[in-house]
Amino acid sequence: VIIDSLAFLEEGLLDALDAAGIERAIVCPTRARGVGYDIGNDRVAAAVAMHPGRLIGFARLDPLAPGAAAELDRARGLGLKGLLLHPWEDGFRITDPAVDPLVDGAPVIVAAGFPWVSEGLQVGEFARRHPETTVIATNGAQVNISGLGQQDAELALETFPNLCIQTTGVYREDFLERVVARFGAGRLLFASGFPRFDPRLELLRVTWAPALDPPARAAVLGGNAHRILGLDAG
Amino acid sequence: MHVDELPALGWSLEAADCVRRMDDAGIDKGIVMTIVDAPEVNPRALELIAEACAAYPGRLEAFARIHPWYGDEAVALLERALTELGFKGLKLHPVTTIAHPAGADTVRLIRIAAAHGAPTLFHCGDEPLTTPLAIERAAEACPEATIILGHMGGYFHVDEAIDVAERRPNVILETSAMPYPAKIREAVERLGPERVIYGSDGPACSPRIEVEKVRLAGLEASAERLVLGENAAGLLERVR
Repeated sequence: VIIDSLAFLEEGLLDALDAAGIERAIVCPTRARGVGYDIGNDRVAAAVAMHPGRLIGFARLDPLAPGAAAELDRARGLGLKGLLLHPWEDGFRITDPAVDPLVDGAPVIVAAGFPWVSEGLQVGEFARRHPETTVIATNGAQVNISGLGQQDAELALETFPNLCIQTTGVYREDFLERVVARFGAGRLLFASGFPRFDPRLELLRVTWAPALDPPARAAVLGGNAHRILGLDAG
Repeated sequence: MHVDELPALGWSLEAADCVRRMDDAGIDKGIVMTIVDAPEVNPRALELIAEACAAYPGRLEAFARIHPWYGDEAVALLERALTELGFKGLKLHPVTTIAHPAGADTVRLIRIAAAHGAPTLFHCGDEPLTTPLAIERAAEACPEATIILGHMGGYFHVDEAIDVAERRPNVILETSAMPYPAKIREAVERLGPERVIYGSDGPACSPRIEVEKVRLAGLEASAERLVLGENAAGLLERVR
């Protein structure tokens, strides 16, 4: 089963997943502008309720907003399984101590690779503070078209075993293959990044990677997400 | 595509890898260049590329990656590349050289390339010195030169790359690594299919996936042919 480990809840999501042949997806709210994340989290919970076999909901929070901890508790009550933190869009540094109290052992996806707020080693530092929590960095923990962030991403993976990375937008096939070779297939998760990214293209980064053997490919495509989320089979 | 030997990074990118991956993707011809610059950090960078192309005649063409700060030495290297060695263009990567795209040393090289009818390919991404608006200053200073924005703006400067190409008729966009098929379509619609060229950034990136990315843009068949090869073939033919 292919599990997309991060898509944003926006118009056209299910059609885009269908077009790429993706069975299940972790979904979270898009950026809230002028409102709190309670609205987006409610929308995600409602979408999951409509498509319970297909969508897995993650909450999103602005950790510096008043009432963030209470909203996290409320979102857990809605059945949302993990947390998305987006330091770039929501304006905070992932190493800001104000973020730490929101980590409660459930998986945390961090929008990673953004300068000054969520560089690979900054996300690594966040993972160091929360060794019992699986921290999943988007974009290979580096968003750089020169590949300049790859060395820091690998250092973070080497140092913090609870850190995983997603494949979204990582054009360097050799980087993805080296991550699997060095750290095992269990550290890499397919994600579409819909709607900014095209799920059809993003899936090819895993399905066409020549150096992945079938078990590794299956782990990256869905097995890892299944394990981390403790999902029921199917 | 890249041919180079970089022990410090553990990278070994050989011509044979490029050709093998071109074969996998059904690609007839590839333009190769080094990852580092001549004369530093590799004084043999031009020879390395010339030898790669000689090993695969008809399959590989050469661009010269040169550090603009080396003044007359850089000029001599470029002249030699374009005349004696049969190179077809100049490649500039301001992340490795920290030479501004519109700095006097850089503009001097671009104009020499243009005098030979050769394009200048810039790495164009999200880093300072490589953004579309920085490279636009070079395109403005050298209207006679063909300027190619490699990666067409990277992750977060793609819209500006298309804007710059719309304003500057001597600017062409190259598609490699940039992750949005829909932006290739938008570029073709706004600029015309003659102003966009396919690139793979291989062999460490997948030429096959990069071709498929262009196909996912859903272009008309004639436009897709231009983007995937005919435009680049035209650029190579104009070099004298």
